[in-house]
Amino acid sequence: MNAPLIEARGLGKSYPKVHRNADRLRALGRLLLRGSDPDRVAVLRDVDLSVRRGESLGLIGANGAGKSTLLKLVTGVLTPTTGRVQVNGTIGALLELGAGFHPEYSGRDNVVMAAALHGLSGAELQARLPEIIAFADIGAYIDEPVKHYSSGMVVRLGFAVIAALKPDLLVTDEVLAVGDESFQKKCIRWMQDYLDGGGTLILVSHSMYHVQKLCRHALWLRDGAVAEYGDVFDVTQAYLAWHERKSAPAAEPAAARGEGEFGMLGLALNGEDGERGVVLEGGATLRVHARVRSRDGRVPSVVIGLVRADGTPVYGVGTDMDGCAPVRVAADEYACELQFDDLALLPGNYLVRAHPLDPEGLRLFDTLERGVAVRGASREFGLVRLAHRWNPLAEEAPTP
Amino acid sequence: MTVPAAALTLRFFQRDLRNRFAGSFSGGLWALLQPLIQLAVYAFVFVHIFKARVPGADAPGYIPFLVTALWPWTAFSEALLRSTTAIQDNAALIGKVALPREVLVLSSVCTSFAVHVTGFIAIVVILALTRNDVWLPGLAAALPLYVPLFALALGLALLFAAVQVFVRDLVQVLTQLLPLLMFGAPVFYDRASLSENLRPWFDLNPFTFYAESFRAVLLGHGTFDFGRLAVALLVAGAALLLGHWVFRRLDPHFEDFL
Repeated sequence: MNAPLIEARGLGKSYPKVHRNADRLRALGRLLLRGSDPDRVAVLRDVDLSVRRGESLGLIGANGAGKSTLLKLVTGVLTPTTGRVQVNGTIGALLELGAGFHPEYSGRDNVVMAAALHGLSGAELQARLPEIIAFADIGAYIDEPVKHYSSGMVVRLGFAVIAALKPDLLVTDEVLAVGDESFQKKCIRWMQDYLDGGGTLILVSHSMYHVQKLCRHALWLRDGAVAEYGDVFDVTQAYLAWHERKSAPAAEPAAARGEGEFGMLGLALNGEDGERGVVLEGGATLRVHARVRSRDGRVPSVVIGLVRADGTPVYGVGTDMDGCAPVRVAADEYACELQFDDLALLPGNYLVRAHPLDPEGLRLFDTLERGVAVRGASREFGLVRLAHRWNPLAEEAPTP
Repeated sequence: MTVPAAALTLRFFQRDLRNRFAGSFSGGLWALLQPLIQLAVYAFVFVHIFKARVPGADAPGYIPFLVTALWPWTAFSEALLRSTTAIQDNAALIGKVALPREVLVLSSVCTSFAVHVTGFIAIVVILALTRNDVWLPGLAAALPLYVPLFALALGLALLFAAVQVFVRDLVQVLTQLLPLLMFGAPVFYDRASLSENLRPWFDLNPFTFYAESFRAVLLGHGTFDFGRLAVALLVAGAALLLGHWVFRRLDPHFEDFL
């Protein structure tokens, strides 16, 4: 099917600034007379989104970035302040624990109401009610008020309703983690069947592993705006790198730059100079070209290192270690070039750092760094791909 | 209204009804018992203590006179009071689940009318069986009168429920104002017993028409005026349109102010 399941254009949501009671009255007047109220705080701005059938979307972002608001706009719980969202299909939402369940009523009553809220007619409900109760598998508790349920039972009931409805689009976050082992297995099996059968998922998760496993596209929200949207691997890497940078200690100020005996003049990656980083495919070649100024004409040694965006060292090597030296290219200028063939870095964001050292390789003078992003779709763990192979083992015949 | 919305209204209506009688031993029977007890209280207070009488030679007894106007009023005023907070009371649902919000107001109005129209029928039948001043076939004309009354209540309920989200004092004000509207309509007394220059003012009260028309068709007290029926229909229609317009306009903003 070609029409997108969800199409959102310029989607935005803002909340009114209500500090005093008079603000409510003023807002009421403005809404009635003009249909709009300008005094608002935006929590979500300008989100464009298009999800096709079978192309699941992962929604990632820090707490408070607007993920839940976006989901509520998509499911129609909230009305967008700007833009519009169009959904061509049925939606099942498993968001907050027991949302829409009334604690005073029995599980059965709540299932009936939830089904009606999802647009199921009385006859359809009668046909599916046994199936829902069997899936939830909470025994005699089905006729107890929901307020006596454990959180696991609430999730079971909520999931059972959604499973019976088989919506075109399933919107969920990590509530499923509440169920016990056997129920989680049941959910995952159902989810797998659902996705194999052409179902579409919007998953909010802080687990990049799950997002990469279940979704093809990802959208990263930062402070209510789209930071990145596209292929799941690109977006999750960019997001993780952002987190790593955020938690990295602030780089020490290069106070010595240009002052000491040696200083960095330039650092070019694959022939590209300038502030911007380079983007590589996994296994590509990386050439690091460093230019160093030497004030008194002595030949410096140069250390070049690779660190992850949060500062975790990956690999570093110096000219003196390998017994080579920068060559003189101008009066006070020396240069060297380091090449990594078949770069083993796993997809992610990294920094190349270069430091000039005195000829003895003892004192470090300056730091210059450039970003390197390694693209690619890989679910391996860690920083680098180590050479490896899986050994074939002889299958042991089962003992009769 | 779409089929799922109608099904949803029915579910909320059922839940509302069950809520009212939940926990009471008499259960659904209470719906019939309550108006009878109320009737006994009124009979005792007005007839035996106040010695209230309707003036006029062939006037009906005071109890049928009161009951035929008071029960419709109870349905109307209770529907307004309960449904004004219908949106506010379901704030938990509105922030979490997508649903057509009118359904909450509609089902609430339906519940009040269902309970009190049932009581009304029961009482009229009992009065008709025990006295000769209530004309039972008049019920066939009286029940359709509830249709414009329901529309008027629903229109005002939509308006109030939407405004209540923004201005929480509305329901308190309404609690005070509704008795004023009741005493300003000929419910406990007859318009004919008031001074000549006061009488026309009562036509400004939308409930006056209903109070007098219910009496006209059930007790033969006063005359049923089709001109005033047309006005009442217009007023009910206008209230429905206004309420619906305001509700639609404020609906997208409910979640921001709840």
